[in-house]
Amino acid sequence: MYAYDPYDKEIVNTRVEEFRDQVNRRLSGELTEEEFRPLRLMNGLYLQLHAYMLRVAIPYGTLSSVQMRRLALIARKYDKGYGHFTTRQNIQYNWPKLVDTPDILLDLADVEMHAIQTSGNCIRNVTTDQFSGATADEIADPRPYAELIRQWSTFHPEFSFLPRKFKIAITGAPSDRAAVKWHDIGLVVRKNDAGDIGFEVLVGGGMGRTPVIAKTIRDFIPEADLLGYLEAILRVYNEQGRRDNKYKARIKILVEALGSDTFADLVEKEWQTTRHHPIDVPEAEIKRIEAFFAPPPLEVLPEQDPAVDELAANNFLFHAFLKNNVRPHKVPGHVNVTISLKPHGGIPGDATDAQMDLVADLADTYSLGEIRVSHEQNLILPHVARRDLPELYEALSRSGLGTANVGLISDIIACPGLDYCALANARSIPIAQNLAKRFDDITRLQDIGELKVKISGCINSCGHHHAGHIGILGVDRKGEEVYQLLLGGSGAEDASKAQILGPGFDENGIVDAVETVVAVYLGERQDGEKFLETYRRIGADPFKEAVYEAH
Amino acid sequence: MKRINLTGRALSDVALTVFDQSPEAAQELAGKNAPYGLILTTETAYSDLDPELIEKADLIAIDFPAFGDGRGFSLAVRLRKDFNFTGELRATGPVIPDQAQFLLRAGFDSVDTDDARAAAFQKAAGRFTAFYQTDYTGNTSVAHTRHGPSQRERKAS
Ligand code: SF4
Repeated sequence: MYAYDPYDKEIVNTRVEEFRDQVNRRLSGELTEEEFRPLRLMNGLYLQLHAYMLRVAIPYGTLSSVQMRRLALIARKYDKGYGHFTTRQNIQYNWPKLVDTPDILLDLADVEMHAIQTSGNCIRNVTTDQFSGATADEIADPRPYAELIRQWSTFHPEFSFLPRKFKIAITGAPSDRAAVKWHDIGLVVRKNDAGDIGFEVLVGGGMGRTPVIAKTIRDFIPEADLLGYLEAILRVYNEQGRRDNKYKARIKILVEALGSDTFADLVEKEWQTTRHHPIDVPEAEIKRIEAFFAPPPLEVLPEQDPAVDELAANNFLFHAFLKNNVRPHKVPGHVNVTISLKPHGGIPGDATDAQMDLVADLADTYSLGEIRVSHEQNLILPHVARRDLPELYEALSRSGLGTANVGLISDIIACPGLDYCALANARSIPIAQNLAKRFDDITRLQDIGELKVKISGCINSCGHHHAGHIGILGVDRKGEEVYQLLLGGSGAEDASKAQILGPGFDENGIVDAVETVVAVYLGERQDGEKFLETYRRIGADPFKEAVYEAH
Repeated sequence: MKRINLTGRALSDVALTVFDQSPEAAQELAGKNAPYGLILTTETAYSDLDPELIEKADLIAIDFPAFGDGRGFSLAVRLRKDFNFTGELRATGPVIPDQAQFLLRAGFDSVDTDDARAAAFQKAAGRFTAFYQTDYTGNTSVAHTRHGPSQRERKAS
């Protein structure tokens, strides 16, 4: 993991002092709420329906056990004993007091964490594949590059007041688990014929009112030129992105308006004029950062373990856990374990302080003290020895963390919705809970197989409904909460936009409609076909007929 | 109204001509042998600017209609890097003290602000002493300083 040096420490500590000063000026009345608003927003502090909400960055979704324990402590000390892991690999606290926030930041700085640029019209936390550095299918671990981008984008003097927020995601593997095509900039690590590392650069992806899948503007930018090229993209966007209408201000609108070829030309031209400036870092700096992410020394172990096989044969739930939550690691005999934060009836992405502490302890015992957070709002223990799985599973299930539903229909992404969010039209959490209740049988879940349900409480799409195999969008119809049903989206390398099936439903109707959709799939699927494959083969009509005929 | 000096250079007091309203009048200035200043706004496209007009100006003020209009920062960077502008660069409009270092590092020398905000501006201008970006005012990114004196010499061109 990356560790701060004195420069990093100084920058983050200075930020804490600066924010304390800003909060004091607000509390003393020197700053009005209107003047304070942009300042707190630069630091992830939102005013929600009931209270302030603080969003803390988990850079590229990597945490140490020490950091996880600190997140638990903050939940206990300043909040109501829980935190909410988000789709952007951040954690949100829903109940902090304004006067406490500088101390929270100090507690975070102590373990090399911060809330810098977790909101505001600036470059946000860079996100990546939760299995980075631990999966066989990657070309290179993307986290050193994410750290490089984190540093370059932190307090950037030119790009801190962009037309709108700006999100960058990077993947090191061809299997895209970071939804890079749905980001303002998506980076895919590539290797050229000479064996050098570089990046395919995609721009202009995004959700919201106008969902757009990012387009490639460069097939390969060499590693050494990454930051300079990003700087050129940001400069063109900062100058030409629309500022007259908040809903047209994202880079996707600019790229659509200019055409991606013209946009690519503008970027190329700007990059050529600046590429010899020291925006890019010395090679030694890339090496320095890479060293923090060196693969851990793992012993090669046998792929099969008799104790694991025996438990799987006798314990049906463990068998399901093995199948759904456990993925191969690049080192034989090791695995990556996803801890589902989607217990049926729970709030997707929430964890209590006790659960966070437990995960930290388990990480120390089984995963070299490392934890990951996925954009699907789950936690991952990487580098686990396969033979430790029975013990680990036992500890998890004792604490309500053993739900074996990863990738299945109840592993739902849901935004906070009307229960917390001031912008919401409808509740998201109860819909997720009702769906999980409806599909509360693990045999049935497994029979349905991979099915990604994503729920947003308004068109801002924080719940990624555009990218859901099944997407649900809450809208307001004359004061009533109405839910639209969308089908066929994907956030993976085969990214696609989900399409609205027809008129919306009420709270109960939407659950019935999802059940009907699943029934159509089960009736139509051919051998081994996943939901999305069946949908793509047969199209929306059979689903539409079944869902709306019944009404 | 108070003028804050961010860089410590001697500030200019030449008269300013609004460029956007009359590019021709501004252009005429360049032909005369007297010092002159220009007012640009965040709406000004750098591609409309004449390099000679910019390079020979004593003072350029960039007017921000709102503090969140970040185009002013890129325009400042353009003037420094693409137009070799070495005169005084001034920010006007409702910029806020918490932007002092961003302004400074994007190439501004001075800011006009309300009297009430002057002290906060001065304080904020020196807050951070380490930076993650090499900028156009001579600050070197820690990514370079970390790797020794030869790297420290590398300045933005
Ligand atoms: S999608 Fe809408 S309701 Fe949900 S968190 Fe985002 S802004 Fe709030």
